[in-house]
Amino acid sequence: MSELRWHPLLGEWVATATHRQERTFLPPPDHCPLCPTLPGGFPTEIPAPAYDIVVFENRFPSLRPDPPAPSVADTDLYPVRPARGQCEVVVYTPNHNSTLAAEPVEQLDKLVQVWTERFAALGARDYIDYVFIFENKGEAIGVTLHHPHGQIYGYPFIPPRVERELEQSRAHFARTGGCLLCHVLAEERRDGRRVVAETDAFVAYIPFFARYPYEVHVTPTRHLQALTDLTRAEQRDLAACLKMVVAAYDRLFNLSFPYMMVLHQRPTDGGAYDYYHFHVEFYPPLRTATKLKYLAGSETGAGLYINDTLAEEKAAELRRHVRPGVWQSETAASAGAPARDGEGQAT
Amino acid sequence: MERTQITLADGRYLIFYTFAEPAAPPPPAHVEAPAEHEAARPAPEAEEEERRV
Repeated sequence: MSELRWHPLLGEWVATATHRQERTFLPPPDHCPLCPTLPGGFPTEIPAPAYDIVVFENRFPSLRPDPPAPSVADTDLYPVRPARGQCEVVVYTPNHNSTLAAEPVEQLDKLVQVWTERFAALGARDYIDYVFIFENKGEAIGVTLHHPHGQIYGYPFIPPRVERELEQSRAHFARTGGCLLCHVLAEERRDGRRVVAETDAFVAYIPFFARYPYEVHVTPTRHLQALTDLTRAEQRDLAACLKMVVAAYDRLFNLSFPYMMVLHQRPTDGGAYDYYHFHVEFYPPLRTATKLKYLAGSETGAGLYINDTLAEEKAAELRRHVRPGVWQSETAASAGAPARDGEGQAT
Repeated sequence: MERTQITLADGRYLIFYTFAEPAAPPPPAHVEAPAEHEAARPAPEAEEEERRV
């Protein structure tokens, strides 16, 4: 059973999806539903012995194109509507034990291309007003499958966090005539202390206003609204910048660093959002190698995040672990041998 | 990039994405990891449906 129930106190929708209680939970590696289906082996979700990147409809969706009627009647106080939308799974690689940080930049470049195609395809549907691309990585975040993958939700409305960003961006534009995130990026680059990595077209930084100790934003230097606005060179540059960030995360505490990664793009409801600026945000839950930043009473109940650290110090710490992203094909061409990811190799 | 879409037994779609191997290394993506305490560079002056996005 799934439906959207209106939260009258916050003025936003809550999705109920009771069937998701039944979804696969941390299966053993030989029963991973995202691995290739090998001859005579466990039949996974992907009926092929090999693949590169795969996208499929989530088996346990909270939103679907043909949702059931709500289980309760709609009232003035408590509006309810069918949970219409789309939930997709994006499988990054057939390698079960890999991560984005361990994959070559080429694989991240492929992923950026797939994200772009899915944004365009889902955004074209008349019942999807917002395409939300994200990854939950690590048990600390609550993942139920370890195989490297992300998700895409096609919402039938603009989600509240994004709506707030849009409002702030719109108000800033009305006040200054400029783009809010362009101004943020200019300030971060002018100051420099919070910049973690740069490529030609993207800057990664822990923002002045970070809510998590190692929160990183990856922003294009060119003012654009969505993945579909990127040139091919900028797609490659985004892949390289993301690779530098996630690889630095893993080096920071010498562990596979958990995070939430979200892409904030313009809505796909047909409106004009020229004032908005595409970017990627990472929210890692770790504040030390062994301690989690919990979203507790103040964060969850009041909305005030309390960050126990200074962005300037955490950026300096993370920056020490950044290595230039190297394209595997370049390394292979220069060394005459294939390269694989790792310290001192193609990353 | 090529996409091949199939329908699973329960009616859901699944798309395989395949990519041609590059004939030559892609254009270099200039990357830079700022050195410790180094300030960043100064800011510059400052097939499913028809696309609707």
